[in-house]
Amino acid sequence: MTRAFDSVSVGEELPELRRVVTREDVRAYADAGGDQNPLHQRDEVARAAGFDGVIAHGMFTMGHMAACVVAWVGEADSVTTIAAQFRAPVSMGQELVAGGRVRSLDEGARTATLDLWVTSERDGATEWPVKRGDSTVRLD
Amino acid sequence: MPAVNPEAEGTTYPAVEFVVEPARVAAFREVFGQSEGVPPTFLTAAEFAVFPQVLGDPALDLDFARVLHGGQSYELERPLREGETLTVRASIESVRLRAGTGFLVIAMQIDDQAGGPVARTRSTMIEQAPA
Repeated sequence: MTRAFDSVSVGEELPELRRVVTREDVRAYADAGGDQNPLHQRDEVARAAGFDGVIAHGMFTMGHMAACVVAWVGEADSVTTIAAQFRAPVSMGQELVAGGRVRSLDEGARTATLDLWVTSERDGATEWPVKRGDSTVRLD
Repeated sequence: MPAVNPEAEGTTYPAVEFVVEPARVAAFREVFGQSEGVPPTFLTAAEFAVFPQVLGDPALDLDFARVLHGGQSYELERPLREGETLTVRASIESVRLRAGTGFLVIAMQIDDQAGGPVARTRSTMIEQAPA
């Protein structure tokens, strides 16, 4: 079921979606998404690139952000645009918190444009794996 | 140390076919805890049918070991359908160099077998300046 246009208001926040990133998840993502870059699977490759160990694909983080949108709007098919800028690498064991807010509504098209982000706490500080993301979704 | 070649801007690549395999869509859904539909970011799988050809293009002269994914956008004309065959056409939309760091934007047009537009994708790749 797609969320009803009339039930949505500008400024409304999407429920946060959380997940802890594991090596197994990232490997499963590599197989399904087709990105077998060893930066995401082999610690020695990631260290040579200046990281502490393997990092998640940017598209893993964006996939989680998209899941937050789909959970809110109700159907994957309702998403017509989605975009993200990746700002912070994500290590294994980090918790991703995806969130968003309704930026605007288009009554004629019955669509909502959402501001989206993904945060993660590391060493007592908030990092932004996605600082500025957005999506347009069709509502019922 | 070489950096990405700005003269590669405007390069287009031959069309590649991509099948939206139901088993792969299911595996992708499972990673993100989804129960139905084709997740919009599954478009990345179509892009990866072409990326090796683009990123490995000798004319681009990209040092893949220094490349990070800087950003991504998707625009869908319609949802992907499981089992369908799509045609993916990639081009280098822009190449910029700033202080040794390369910014590469790869655009893809994805159409169905009837020639109807399905999606457009845009990926920003960042080639970090050598340490």
